[in-house]
Amino acid sequence: MSDWEPKIVAFLCNSCSYGAADLAGVGRMQYPANIRIIRIPCSGRMSPKFVLSALMQGADGVWVSG
Amino acid sequence: MQTCINKIREIAARLVKDETIEMVIGFQEGTIPMISPPISVRTADDVEKLTWSSHCCINLANYLTDVKGKVAVFAKGCDSRSIVNHIAEGKVKREDVVIIGVPCNGMMERHTISNLFGDEIEEVVEEDGGTVIVRGKGREEKYRKSDLLRQNCRVCVHKNPVLYDELVADPVDVPEDIKRYEEVEKIEALAINDRWNFFADLISTCIRCYACRDACPTCYCPTCFVDETQPQWVGKGDEEPDVMTFHILRAFHTAGRCTDCGACVSSCPMTINMRAFTKKLEKDCLDLWDWEAGLTPDMRPALETYTPNDPEDNFK
Amino acid sequence: MDKCIACGACSQKCPKKVVNEYDAGMSKRKAIYVEYAQAVPLKYAIDDTQCFYLTKGKCGKCAETCPTGAINYEDRAKDLEFQVGAVICASGCKTYDPATHDVYGYNRSRNIVTSLEFERILSSSGPYGGHMVRPSGKNEPKKIAWLQCVGSRDVHIGAKGYCSSVCCTYAVKEAMLAVDHAKDGLDAAIFYMDIRTHGKDFERYYNQARDEFGVRFVKSKITNIVPTEDGNQLIRYIDEYGKLAEEAFDIVVLSVGLEVGESTLQLAHTLDIKLDKYNFVSTTSFDPQATSTPGVFVCGAVEAPKDIPSSVIEASASAGSAGSFLSESRWSLTRQKKLPAELNIRGERPRIGVFVCCCGTNIAGVVDVPSVVEYVKNLPYVTFSTQGLFSCSQDALNNLADIIKAEKLNRVVVAACTPKTHETLFQETLATTGLNKYVFEMVNIRNHCSWVHKNSPDIATEKARDLIRMAVNKVALMGPLNEVELEINQSALVIGGGIAGMQAAKTLSRQGYHTSLIEREKQLGGKGLDIHETWQGENVAENVSRLIADIRNDANIDIYTGGHISHVDGFVGNFTTTVQTTDSTVDLEHGVTIIASGASEFKPEQYLYDEDDRVITGLELDRKLTADDPVLEQIKTAVFIQCVGSRIPARPYCSKVCCTHSIKNGLTLKKRNPEMNIYILYRDMRPYGLREDLYREAREKGIIFLRYNFEKGIDIDYDGDNLQVQFTDTIMRRNLAINPDMLVLATAIIPPEKNPLAQQYKVTLNNDGFFMEAHAKLRPVDCSTDGVFLCGLSHGPKPIDESVSQAIAAATRAVTLLARKTIAISGTVAEVSPQECSECGGCVSICPYSAPSFIEASARFFPGKAQINPALCKGCGICVASCRSGAIHLLGFDNDQIMSQIAAIY
Repeated sequence: MSDWEPKIVAFLCNSCSYGAADLAGVGRMQYPANIRIIRIPCSGRMSPKFVLSALMQGADGVWVSG
Repeated sequence: MQTCINKIREIAARLVKDETIEMVIGFQEGTIPMISPPISVRTADDVEKLTWSSHCCINLANYLTDVKGKVAVFAKGCDSRSIVNHIAEGKVKREDVVIIGVPCNGMMERHTISNLFGDEIEEVVEEDGGTVIVRGKGREEKYRKSDLLRQNCRVCVHKNPVLYDELVADPVDVPEDIKRYEEVEKIEALAINDRWNFFADLISTCIRCYACRDACPTCYCPTCFVDETQPQWVGKGDEEPDVMTFHILRAFHTAGRCTDCGACVSSCPMTINMRAFTKKLEKDCLDLWDWEAGLTPDMRPALETYTPNDPEDNFK
Repeated sequence: MDKCIACGACSQKCPKKVVNEYDAGMSKRKAIYVEYAQAVPLKYAIDDTQCFYLTKGKCGKCAETCPTGAINYEDRAKDLEFQVGAVICASGCKTYDPATHDVYGYNRSRNIVTSLEFERILSSSGPYGGHMVRPSGKNEPKKIAWLQCVGSRDVHIGAKGYCSSVCCTYAVKEAMLAVDHAKDGLDAAIFYMDIRTHGKDFERYYNQARDEFGVRFVKSKITNIVPTEDGNQLIRYIDEYGKLAEEAFDIVVLSVGLEVGESTLQLAHTLDIKLDKYNFVSTTSFDPQATSTPGVFVCGAVEAPKDIPSSVIEASASAGSAGSFLSESRWSLTRQKKLPAELNIRGERPRIGVFVCCCGTNIAGVVDVPSVVEYVKNLPYVTFSTQGLFSCSQDALNNLADIIKAEKLNRVVVAACTPKTHETLFQETLATTGLNKYVFEMVNIRNHCSWVHKNSPDIATEKARDLIRMAVNKVALMGPLNEVELEINQSALVIGGGIAGMQAAKTLSRQGYHTSLIEREKQLGGKGLDIHETWQGENVAENVSRLIADIRNDANIDIYTGGHISHVDGFVGNFTTTVQTTDSTVDLEHGVTIIASGASEFKPEQYLYDEDDRVITGLELDRKLTADDPVLEQIKTAVFIQCVGSRIPARPYCSKVCCTHSIKNGLTLKKRNPEMNIYILYRDMRPYGLREDLYREAREKGIIFLRYNFEKGIDIDYDGDNLQVQFTDTIMRRNLAINPDMLVLATAIIPPEKNPLAQQYKVTLNNDGFFMEAHAKLRPVDCSTDGVFLCGLSHGPKPIDESVSQAIAAATRAVTLLARKTIAISGTVAEVSPQECSECGGCVSICPYSAPSFIEASARFFPGKAQINPALCKGCGICVASCRSGAIHLLGFDNDQIMSQIAAIY
């Protein structure tokens, strides 16, 4: 279990969190690569269907940030 | 009960004479015991078909949408809240519906009765004083009505209609000590895996007939998401993820709108208690936003409003 | 500079370490550096005083490392010459340096820091990575103190006599952030003279800090600070009651004030503009952006210490003042861009081109770009893929355009850096080939991949493949989107004929736009008619009359007095407002709306107001002063009570102007009759900024300021025929009584109880009933509804100079719209598919921009269904997510597009 790494899908708001992820890059902050980012215009765009569908695709966690 | 039925017929007789009213929607005696189907009464001759019993599980608010003209409807507490919800969502106009409120002491769960009695049931008779006589295969059993109630009726705190033009009977008492969310709390207390297993087990018998959706007054979309193909949100088969997706999403679509009328459960041929999903959302809406569906026609459901004072503790 | 791609390789190799000024000296940077992460343009620069190559002639490591050959050691500062018609001076301020006259021990302990240094300590990009620790031992503090008025409100040598205006609120903010940062609790204390949270919503913030965050506010005078051996600092102070006290803190933050830098003196000399005694640029209340030299305008803290919202408002105002000044030469230097006709790709099979950028070594150094390009070739519908060294360079963009044409691509994916900065660039390139700019997806394999997974190239490469696969899947479903062109009606409506409204109308007209102005009353002037003098001593009546004459004589301004708005329709560029006056009803068509509907003076039901003639409000005193009322001659003792109706639970805001107003009127009374006894009963005196001088003058002239106990309140009673004011003084802790001949109540500025404008123009009111701006700092005069702007008291309490600035700013923001003649609505808007709509009205209810509505019942097609006005839609997608029926589609982020991305994740 200890070397198990969750697969995470992140839905990031274009106006804030997506830019924050950009800044994390500018600051060269290192973080694990098991995250896949999908850009959405606003976290208000988020639909529970996206969460369920990501989980059905095999994601272990879904992160909505905005 | 008979007083109530007489009163219903008396009101209906008056209303069918009113030319501005297209029809009166109520319940009729079913062809098999313990099922009361809805009926629309348009003529004086049909008034006598109207009845009332503890088997009027269907939510009549369901029949008010997309109807032309003015309609009169008999409404229990939950039905009236669904009508309020319809008004809030613009599905019916207040002036196009005459609401005859029927204070309600709860509807009975036919599967419970069948299981208790064991044999095929020929007749169920309600007596004053809360006893129910069940007859079939030449024998007869007496039960207390309170033991036969639907789960949603046991925890109902809106037994009296919230919006009506007239009442069929005096309002009934609502006990103060009702523990509305005992079922939900039990599930909430489960460990995360057990909770998943609980819900997986709950829906394991679902045959995707969509009776729950069709019985639900809040499910009125022209095309339901389960029928959409572009994108195909959910598979059509009985794979667990698809079935779970259907139930979770349907529950979310009713969040802040569901009045816990129990029509979904009553209509389910597989006796699935899908209220386990919706009741939790009802509790959350109450806890987070102090919102209960169908109490005021002037406000949009909880998930469709924004106020600057919204507590946001639920976002992490 | 054009070649620099901000990869940072030069900085990593640079051997020279330099003290980092941006982190207030608390960390090191290199000799080649970017000043701070958000710098625009994001380009590295060489510090020529530190660089080994430039100072000693050897090193050159950065030039060796730079992948794009961007290092140019020969670059020198150049003198540039511009021909301009106007100059805006926005040279800002600097903070007071507590080291020069070190009374606070700043030089003696590392744990005594300035507020700016503390900002860096809190910042995640700061010297301690956002971990709040003491600079000395790097341990977490348990107690932090803020000392207010460091270098401000202080006439000692080196310090400044004025109030710096921003420090109270920023100290409150820093204290709250610090409490938030502290994992194990923090004792935060602010040592102050008066808490001046006079800005909009700042009082609530102060209350929140005290009541919810437990920040202590200690009214005190600091005697000295002694660093102790354990690294703590002992603050010795005199408390509110005059008793000596002391308390030790882990960190002491000096809330340093603002002052004008030396370079501004030089600039002022060059521009030949007048400065005041503190070297701030001198201005007047009724033309607050103009300097003493015509054509030179000013904004921001070089004019007086001020906060961000005021500075941003003034920035717009100065641009507008310059615009009015230059209105004749408008459009004389404008150039237009030509684009080819758009290709019709509808119905074509997708032909996707994928361009993977190496970004020098930024991406290619981690991600195996050639293997990604090979992988991509096999993805569905991909007909072309290639790699580029720098996809954003001009030759690469030309190449991209050539390939699109040669390969007949109808969808493009660029895998490079972030769309936030580069999407437009590539989209413009698409447009030059005739492709619609929306058949494009950008994949961020730099900021979100190579930069952050440096040590695992294999999984970074895998991630890059995944991200591109997702984008390819999405772009295949993208189609051309239409950007609707909306014509903007070239006229404006200003609501309210007070100072702000009239100034806004005047500014609009001076810039050449027809303007209608509605005033509810029969006469123009608003509250300005009541005010005697500004705090700077300008006669308000004269200035208001001039303003009235200006707009009355302006053929470009239509005035509707005695008018009210009965109906409003439309949206940005195309509003129709129905105005009813006593004799007519007019439909006004206008492209923009400026709300300057004002506020009024609170009339209290306490302190015998309305019962005894001797009890009047501040504005009533102004009217007596203007009319030279003989009653004033009889007065021997006058008492002013501050905060009547302000800063109370029912109205938890500060009315901002009343402290200065009472001081000013007190001084006027003193001038008329130096023998008069004047008492001002206050809670915190808030004559912010340069107004502090008036406060000092008032004390010098013998006006007595008494701080009353707010909890115990003030009683007004009769002592025989005399009025008697009874209260508890907080310093002496005694009950006092004064018998005044006149009692002046400094009452709150209150918004109207019901404000139909909010509904009519779909603008939001804040909790206090004032209009809410789109963003307090970034868009302080815009409403969240496009095309509607705010100024004056309807936005919040403020003095005349700030109202005028805001009015010019609102007009200027409106002109930025009007000047465009048409606006292109973004293609990424929501669209309803009416067949699926269930008419539930969820979208209509939830949209913050009021874009959805129901199609009229009488319409031929789809009556009752929802429709979305693209001009109002911001493309946020809230309606899409809230639509249970799935009837709403967000173009460019539609369900199937996002689902296709999700489907391609693994």
